[in-house]
Amino acid sequence: MSDDIKVDLELDLKGLLCPLPMVRVSQNITNVPVGGVIRAVATDPGAMADIPAWAQSTGNEVLSAGKEGSEFVFLVKRIK
Amino acid sequence: MDSQQITTLTGVLDKKMNRQLKQYLDICARCAICKDACHQYVATGDFTYLPARRAELIRQIYKKYFTKAGEFVPALYEARDPDENLLDELYESTYACTGCRRCMYYCPFSIDTAWILSVAKAILIAAGRGNEMLGQLADASLFKSDNFEMFRDVIVSGFKDIEAELKELTGDPSAEIPVDKQGADILYVALAGAHSILPAAAIFHEAGASWTLSMFESANYGFFLGDVEKARKIADRFMDEAVRLGVKEVVITECGHAYRVANIFHEAWSGTKHPFKVRHILEVIDEYIKDGRLKVSRCIDVPVSYHDPCQVGRNGGIFEQPRDIVRALATDFRDMTPNREQQWCCGGGGGIVAISEMDAFRLKSGKKKVEQIKATGAKIVASPCENCRLQMEGLNETEDLGVRIAAIMDLVMECMDLPGRKQAAEGA
Amino acid sequence: MDTYLQITTVVGVYVAGVVFVAGMGWRIYQWATTPKSPVRLGMFPKPKTRGGRIMKMLKDTLIAPHSARIEPRMWLFAMMFHVAALAAFVGHLRLIQEYPVLPSLLGAEGMNAFAGWAGGIAGTLMMVAVLYWIARRTFGPFKQLSVPEDYLLLVLLLGVIIMGNHMRFIGHVHATDYREWFQSLLAFKPVIPDSIRFSNVGWSLGTHMLFVNALLIYFPFSKLVHTIGSFSANLVRSE
Repeated sequence: MSDDIKVDLELDLKGLLCPLPMVRVSQNITNVPVGGVIRAVATDPGAMADIPAWAQSTGNEVLSAGKEGSEFVFLVKRIK
Repeated sequence: MDSQQITTLTGVLDKKMNRQLKQYLDICARCAICKDACHQYVATGDFTYLPARRAELIRQIYKKYFTKAGEFVPALYEARDPDENLLDELYESTYACTGCRRCMYYCPFSIDTAWILSVAKAILIAAGRGNEMLGQLADASLFKSDNFEMFRDVIVSGFKDIEAELKELTGDPSAEIPVDKQGADILYVALAGAHSILPAAAIFHEAGASWTLSMFESANYGFFLGDVEKARKIADRFMDEAVRLGVKEVVITECGHAYRVANIFHEAWSGTKHPFKVRHILEVIDEYIKDGRLKVSRCIDVPVSYHDPCQVGRNGGIFEQPRDIVRALATDFRDMTPNREQQWCCGGGGGIVAISEMDAFRLKSGKKKVEQIKATGAKIVASPCENCRLQMEGLNETEDLGVRIAAIMDLVMECMDLPGRKQAAEGA
Repeated sequence: MDTYLQITTVVGVYVAGVVFVAGMGWRIYQWATTPKSPVRLGMFPKPKTRGGRIMKMLKDTLIAPHSARIEPRMWLFAMMFHVAALAAFVGHLRLIQEYPVLPSLLGAEGMNAFAGWAGGIAGTLMMVAVLYWIARRTFGPFKQLSVPEDYLLLVLLLGVIIMGNHMRFIGHVHATDYREWFQSLLAFKPVIPDSIRFSNVGWSLGTHMLFVNALLIYFPFSKLVHTIGSFSANLVRSE
């Protein structure tokens, strides 16, 4: 996970069940400027497919998605 | 609004027209008996949410463009164009509707307001006013299946994580979560979340069932959005999988709308006849317990109540199995009043939980459910629908109900003799 | 007076009859030729057999037990109106032909007295129900739901009922005279008997029929088509 990416918004999605992590990311994407980045932490493994699928179908970008211990961490960049 | 757009929108109504819809639009007497049936109208007293009013907006378009009387004397029916004002109100009342059909239950003519509103949704989508969030969720589901190879590994590795938990829980190193298993009896269609997979896996393992897990989630945001084409495609994903694997039955997880979509809508949408049964997981669990295939103890000694999700109960026909399961697990079962087909909607259905601008309204609309839960004095409220549980958890928090909202599968798992449960609980 | 009666009790009746029959025929044709939804819209619990479904439909349509549970007062007035309207309709069949058994049992005087009582009660109940509906619509919390159609129908009904009651309570004309008039219409040799023309209720028959004609003409284009549509809509409930 690169540390040089500036995170505009942190989202704690721990404990939320799918598809809520995806819903919360989507609801919050307009709270960061275009080009801004959301860092989201979820615990539901379903998010590993859901959030990238949401990003691709809405034209946003997942910079990274990875497992850290029992948590799933996403960096999502708002493209439009 | 220009005439071109009016033609587009009335064209949608024309395309969606069928006998039932026509009759509903022709016969409503605006008697407003439905007002006391709707949890949203009862909780807010807001005219917008009166069921007959919601349908009336579509009726106003219908009268103007589909009836001679309304064309010549529009004032008599307040018939009008689908203009911005109408669409504004229609958006609000349509996407707020949870589709519980309690108004239909009490209507002297059994007018299915939710069905009228499904057409309203198609009109809103054609006007570019479909709910954005529901649209995104539906598109994400379809994106996953259209680009399945891109997600396959992630999905399967997620299943493997859950499988590791299952092995620990059951104390059986050979316990597995099968996927793509040709010739299995059951295709189990879960939600994207692990919470809907692990308990079912433990139950199937314990009952010695021949099953396989679907690669796709059963949740169907195309249905909530009101886009029949997308909804069908989302359901096609696991229906095609079921055909391909040659299963005997498709079993839907503890989810309301997914069960109704699979059991009632999909055959009509796709024009096919399923070569398999469609059942709700609770029907299966109830059968396992009654057949003695699944051993459970009566391990819950606090009062437990059960909330009928509208799409499982009134609209799905499952009333007794969940109650029987809860009675097998708990010493003190307390039904809500009213219950079964008269059960109050909790306020969380129809996709409204995903629409954040309706959050405050949604929680307010749960007033009746709060009263019902309080009256039972239950400490646990079980319900086999994700949206119901989300809503009731919200109510639990804002209204300080002090209850635990639980999925029935979770309660079943707690009352099963699972060697690894203690360690798993400590580890979590 | 003669022109008024000529218009409302002769010409108007023919026009209304034609519009009503053709309009309802058109309405049913439209319903029947519009394809059914492929999706089953029924709700649970539902009867398993066809007979059971039909019985449930009849019960739901004729007794509306669910509506009774949720708004008993409205149900009471609605039942009152519909049962009284049915009774009034049956009573009006005397215009076509005298009942077979009843008059010989009661005698001519007794029959008129019975009709007077039955019709009077039915007319009063209907009037009370319509007044209740007008009040409920006008002062209820959901009055915004009402559209002009609702009031128009209630006013037409009220007109029909009040004039009917006027003839019933004030008039001294009995069924035989009215039957003479009505049968002449059916035979397409319309005559308005002097016994009606020169009575104290000639103009009220004219006005009664004015409202009846207007109601019948508007009927097929109004929500009153629920008289037929409610049966099939309630059957869908069990599909």
